[in-house]
Amino acid sequence: MSRYAREISVAGAFALLLAVLAVFAPGFYQPQPLLSLATREAPTLLVACGMALVIISRQIDISVGSQFSVCGVCVGLLAGMQWPVIALLPAAVGLGALLGAVNGLLIAGLGLPSIVVTLAMMVTLRQGLNLVRQGKFVDLPEGFQWFGLPQATGQWLLVLGALAVVLGFAVALRYLAAGRFVYAIGSDAEAARLAGIRPRLGTFWVLIGLGALTGLAALMNVVQSPQVQPLAGSGLELKVIAAVVVGGVAISGGRGNLGGVLAGVLLLATISPALTHLRVEAYWEKAIQGAIVLLAVLAESARRRWAPR
Amino acid sequence: MKPPSRDWPALLLRHEMLLVYVLLAEWLFFYFAGTTTNRRGVLIGFGTLDRQFDILRHSCEIGLLALALTPVILTGGIDLSVGSILGFCAIFLGLLWRDCGLPLPLAAACTLAMGVVAGGLNAVLIAALRLPPLIVTLGTYSLFRGLAEAITRGAITYTDFPAGFLFLGQERWLGLPAQAWLFALVALVVWLLVHRTTFGRSFRVIGFSPEGARYAGLPVERRLALGYLLAGGIAALAAIIYTARLGQAKADAGLGYELFAITAVVLGGTSIFGGTGTVHGTLLGVATIAVLKNGLACLPLVMRLNAAEELAGLLTGALLLLALAAGVLPRIRPFRRASRRPVDSTHPPAVPP
Repeated sequence: MSRYAREISVAGAFALLLAVLAVFAPGFYQPQPLLSLATREAPTLLVACGMALVIISRQIDISVGSQFSVCGVCVGLLAGMQWPVIALLPAAVGLGALLGAVNGLLIAGLGLPSIVVTLAMMVTLRQGLNLVRQGKFVDLPEGFQWFGLPQATGQWLLVLGALAVVLGFAVALRYLAAGRFVYAIGSDAEAARLAGIRPRLGTFWVLIGLGALTGLAALMNVVQSPQVQPLAGSGLELKVIAAVVVGGVAISGGRGNLGGVLAGVLLLATISPALTHLRVEAYWEKAIQGAIVLLAVLAESARRRWAPR
Repeated sequence: MKPPSRDWPALLLRHEMLLVYVLLAEWLFFYFAGTTTNRRGVLIGFGTLDRQFDILRHSCEIGLLALALTPVILTGGIDLSVGSILGFCAIFLGLLWRDCGLPLPLAAACTLAMGVVAGGLNAVLIAALRLPPLIVTLGTYSLFRGLAEAITRGAITYTDFPAGFLFLGQERWLGLPAQAWLFALVALVVWLLVHRTTFGRSFRVIGFSPEGARYAGLPVERRLALGYLLAGGIAALAAIIYTARLGQAKADAGLGYELFAITAVVLGGTSIFGGTGTVHGTLLGVATIAVLKNGLACLPLVMRLNAAEELAGLLTGALLLLALAAGVLPRIRPFRRASRRPVDSTHPPAVPP
C-alpha cells in the first residue's frame, strides 16, 4: 500500500478534481466533449509512456516535441502521396524509432549527457523542419481524417488504441525481464552491469522505444484534423515530462510505473477544461500546471524523508 | 586550480581557444561574404559598424541569461526558468509602472527585487529542500510564464515607455549601445565571482562532488542558493533591458531564451554535470551563436531563401553536438590507445547521469 502512495495520491487528486467538478460544474460530464478531450490527449499519453521509460532508466529526452512535429509532417506528406493508412503506421513508427536511435547512438554509444544531446537534437530537428517546410501546413487528402471512419468511431479507436499500447508497455515493464532491466539500469547502472545487464544497450533500446511511441503519437495526432500543423509538437516535451513527474516517476531514475503516469496525464489534461467549467479564467492554466509540478516534487521529497525504510 | 602552464600547444588547443578560432573564422567569413555595397556605393551588410552594434544589442539578453546560468551549471544544477522569469519580470515592470503609477526607476528596482524573489523560490526548493533542479525549474518555468499570462490575460501589452527608459535599449552611450555597458558590468562581476573568489571555487567543488564539498566544510546549501538567487536577479535585469530594447512588454517575452542560453554555456565549455567551466567560455559561446545568427542573415543566398534563423539554429545544434563529441572522443576505447596520455583523473567517467 505505502509502496504505491505516490500513485494513489495522484489518482486521489484526480478523483478530487472530478468530485469538485461533479458538485460545482456537472456540465463537465457530457459524453461527447469528454471523448474529444480523451482523443486529444491520447498522443500525449503515448509519448508520456515512452518518456516514463526513459526517465526510469535515468535519462531524459527533450527532443520529443521536435520528433513529434517531424513525424507528423512526414506522415502528412506521405498521406498526400496516397499511401494507405496500413503503410503509414509502420512508416510513422519507423521514422520515430530512427530519430530515437540517433539520440540513442549519441547518448548510449558515445556516453554524452542526454539532456544536452536532446537539446541539440530539439533545436536541429525543429529548425531543419522550418528550413525545409517554411512553416507551411500540410493538407491531408479527403476522407483521411479519422481513417475515413465516422468521427465517434475514430475517436474510440484512437483512445482504446492508445490505452492498449500503454497497457502492453505496463505489463512488459512489470513482468518481463526487459522491463525489470529498465528499473535496474535506472537504479544503479554499475550494479546492473555487474548483474550481467548491458546498461548502454538498454538505454539505446529505451530511447528507440520513446521515438517509436512518439511516431505513433504523431500519426494519432495527424488523423484528428484535416491539416498537419508543423508546430504541433512545440512545448510537448515539457508537458510530457511534467505529466510523468506528477505521475510519480522519480527523476533520479529507478522508480515509477505507468499507472501513475496515466493518472498524471489525466490530471494535467483535465485542468484546462475544468477551469473553463468552474468559470476561472483559462489564462491561469499554465501557472496551475507549474504549481502542480512543484507540489508533486514536494510530495516526492516528503515521501523520501518520512517513508519507513 | 591548475598551475599557470607554459605548455603552449596545450594552451592553444584549450576549449576556449578553439572557440576563439571558430569565432574568428566565422566573423571573417561573414565579413567577406556578407558585406556588399548598394547602388549608391554605401557599404551595407555584415561589415558595417551599425550591424556590429546590432549584434551586440541583440545578444545582451541571452548573454545575461547565459551569464546567470554559468554558476548554476557549474554547481551541477540547471535553471530552465530564467526565460520565464524574464517574461514575468517584464510584465511586472509594466504593471508597476503603468497600472500602479510608480516612477520607472523605482519600478525597475522593484522588478530587480522581484527577480531575486523568483530566483529565491528556486533556491528554497533546490537548496533547502534538496529537490532535483531540473524538475523544480521545469515547474517554475511553467509557473512564472503562467503568472505572466494570467496577469495580462494573454492580451495586454505594455507600451509607450518614456524616451529616457528606451535610451537604455535603443541608443548609444560613450560609443557603444547603452545596454552593452550593463552587460559588460554584469559579465565582469560574474567573472570575478567565479574566477577570483572562493565562491566560484565552491561552485566548482559542489559540481564536482556535493558530498565532498560538505565534508570539506563548505556551506553547500547557501552556495547553491546564491547561484539561483543571482540567476533570478540577472534574469530581471535582462527583462528590463529587453523591455527597453523593444519598447514593449508582453507575456511571451523571452520565450525559449533559456535553451539558447544553455546552449551558449555548454558550447562555452562548461560541463553540464558541473565542476568545470569558465565565464569567458560562456561569453565566447554567446558571441559564436550571435555572430552566426546575424551573419547568416547578411548572406545574399540566405536572404533570398529567407531562412537565416532556421539555418542558424541548425548550425548551432550541430556545433553543440560537435563540441560535446570532441570532448568525449578521446575517452572512448578505440581512440584511447592512439592518444597516449595518462587517464585524466579530474574528469568523471563518461557514464550517463
